[in-house]
Amino acid sequence: MDRIDRLLSRQLQSMNRHLAKEKKVLEQLLKEEKPEVILHDGMLHFFNKKELELIARLLPEEKHRILMLPIYIELNSSKFGKGTARVCGISEVMVISKLLDKKAEGDEMFIYRPEIRIIRKKLPTTTQYMLTATLG
Amino acid sequence: MAELIESVNPTRMELLKLKTKVKLAKKGHRLLKEKRDALIVEFFNILEEARGIRRRAERSLGDAFIALILAQSTLGVLKVKEVGLAVKETHEVNTVTRSIMGVRVPVLEIEDEKRTLMERGYSLSDTNYMVDEAAKKFEEALAAVVELAEVESSIKLLSQEIKVTKRRVNALENIVMPRLDATVKYIRMRLDEMERENFFKLKRIKTSQERKKAEATA
Repeated sequence: MDRIDRLLSRQLQSMNRHLAKEKKVLEQLLKEEKPEVILHDGMLHFFNKKELELIARLLPEEKHRILMLPIYIELNSSKFGKGTARVCGISEVMVISKLLDKKAEGDEMFIYRPEIRIIRKKLPTTTQYMLTATLG
Repeated sequence: MAELIESVNPTRMELLKLKTKVKLAKKGHRLLKEKRDALIVEFFNILEEARGIRRRAERSLGDAFIALILAQSTLGVLKVKEVGLAVKETHEVNTVTRSIMGVRVPVLEIEDEKRTLMERGYSLSDTNYMVDEAAKKFEEALAAVVELAEVESSIKLLSQEIKVTKRRVNALENIVMPRLDATVKYIRMRLDEMERENFFKLKRIKTSQERKKAEATA
């Protein structure tokens, strides 16, 4: 890792301090009275129960133990292009594709700015933006 | 032409350092632009939501005040005031936060949004239907006002963050990057110039040596 990459990764770390330190599974969050996760900046992020219930309705019950929340919307304009984002994970892709009514298979899905708006409107607390960059 | 970075030495080492800085600035600029765009998307989402909520809050407050006036017209202003003093203030607002790209926006939740007649605390025998209706409408209005407060404070916080990010993007785009580019160009020019100078010097030395050699042999 050269100097630029080191500096860039430090910048990325500071820009992504709003991300969860440890994700939680949907099943656990549904049981909690005040569903929350601890963020990298030490603050608490609370989930909206209605959103959790919506996600629970969209997924089959066995997936409740697999889906980790919050779902990350990965932004990397140099890799995916401007206005494009990526969602990773089989269960995550399932939730997003059902919300957007869009066909998707596998563990990776690309969404575009108007779709990001829809997702963020429907799931404002259970999704989070993640900034990434291509090093090197 | 953009300004140059002050007291920079036109050396190859400096050129390499600057090239690294340019690369880093470009990547950082792209990241900040990404952040700014995401914040703008969020801002417009909330703004759209706020329009409807504001309208709803205004309407419900209007309805509540009409109901209050009707209650005052049937029971009298003083009696309604007396009833109002008897009401239990049990509405609690829970404040939690959510993070939008590092911007902490509040999420307000009102407990016991709608109370039953008995929970309100005033005497039912001394009042009439109009008072109950006014109380109900004010409770509805309170929920709308809390929702509006949440959305409007989110808009304020997000707009501040957008402003800061935009300023950083613009500073990189219009000051830092052009200055770095101009300095790189200047160092390249100076290095080329020095190379030409050296080349010319060598040529001059060679010709003078050849001349001297020719004179010596002649």
